[in-house]
Amino acid sequence: MDVVTVREVFVASPVEQFTIKPLVPLEVGGLDLSYSNSSLWMTITVIAVTAFLTLSMRGGRLVPGRWQSMAELSYEFVANMVRENVGSEGRKYFPFVFTLFLFVLFGNLLGMIPYSYTFTSQIIVTFAMAAVIFVGVTILGLALHGFHFFTLFFPSGTPIALAPILIPIEIISYFVRPVSLSVRLFANMMAGHTMMKVFAGFALAMGVLGVAPIILLVALTGFEIMVAVLQAYVFTLLTCMYLNDAIHLH
Amino acid sequence: MRAILGACRGIVGQTAAVIVALGGASDVLAAGDGGGAKLPQLDIATFPTQIFWLVVSFLVLYILVSRIALPRISEVLEERQDRIADDLDKAETLKKEAEQVRGEYEKALAEARNQAHAAMREAQDEAAKNATETEAEAREKVANMLKDAEERIEATRSEAMSNVRNVARDVAGDAVAKLIRIQVLGEEIDRVVDATMEGRN
Repeated sequence: MDVVTVREVFVASPVEQFTIKPLVPLEVGGLDLSYSNSSLWMTITVIAVTAFLTLSMRGGRLVPGRWQSMAELSYEFVANMVRENVGSEGRKYFPFVFTLFLFVLFGNLLGMIPYSYTFTSQIIVTFAMAAVIFVGVTILGLALHGFHFFTLFFPSGTPIALAPILIPIEIISYFVRPVSLSVRLFANMMAGHTMMKVFAGFALAMGVLGVAPIILLVALTGFEIMVAVLQAYVFTLLTCMYLNDAIHLH
Repeated sequence: MRAILGACRGIVGQTAAVIVALGGASDVLAAGDGGGAKLPQLDIATFPTQIFWLVVSFLVLYILVSRIALPRISEVLEERQDRIADDLDKAETLKKEAEQVRGEYEKALAEARNQAHAAMREAQDEAAKNATETEAEAREKVANMLKDAEERIEATRSEAMSNVRNVARDVAGDAVAKLIRIQVLGEEIDRVVDATMEGRN
């Protein structure tokens, strides 16, 4: 492998994969709303989730097959998560939480397919979701508890002397929620994909010795699939906990 | 606790920020002399399209999941739950029935045993009664025979006695006539013999 190719491999930056490429240009009121590679994979996610949930349940058998089991397990998994973290009042929000979980999970997992696009590696996507959750949960809390909602920042039973320290901490930790929620998902996805690209670059650059990075890459792929599932779970779990805070305060 | 959680969350956020920074650094490193390479995620120009299509996709998915997929899954799960509950109910009923049958069987068995006991006791009682009756009869019969025999002995004895009296009277009359040659009147001899025998008795 000559030096020029190696240079080229490195010139193709490991973060280039995150570039938004417009597929169908679309401009509304001066805003660029082009249908891009990111949009395409969102659409594929929607189709995949819908197909997964409907095709697997088509038979609706009493004794489920493999696909039906997976659909039912995902349903029960999220249902349990909502029940354990929010309680019976969480039933109303179950469709939203379930959709959120599958959207993020499939977005992450489909992103593991070579040449696909991981829309959850975009900070604006994860931040938009986190912001909607944060604003929605805050409105819900205010609607349910009114002024009482602000006891969230100062739990009853805390010594009054702690108020000057505790209240700012609680307020900051509350307003950091959308940031930490979105950055956690985005950073995990981006870091994983970047790392894989870097190792792929090594594999190409090292010639015969590239076997080592390839072996590492295989392990990394498994690890990234785990991260994809785990981050979808964490994102959903935290949403449930925020919902619980809004509904039950402390 | 909440404070600690908050702090943890802050640390996680910071770590993430570091990762972002690292990503940027590696970008710059990798881009090398390319220069001016930026993280595509930070290109604000792409934000509207991403948000727009995110909202569209998510809403479509939400509607599809909540209107079509979830009702179907919950229907199947409920059906299964109902079926299981049904089967459990049926099993419960069958178990109760079996228990009832067993109870009836045991009752019948106890009844039969009681009947057998009663029959045995009755037979024993009857046998005992028969034995007593037979014994009493035999005793009466023996008593009667004894009485008859006693009566017969008495009759024989009194007959023998009267025979003795007649003999004694004849002998006495004859002896008186022979000794003193006096014919004693029959009644007189009777009286004397009687008195003598009375004395003897």
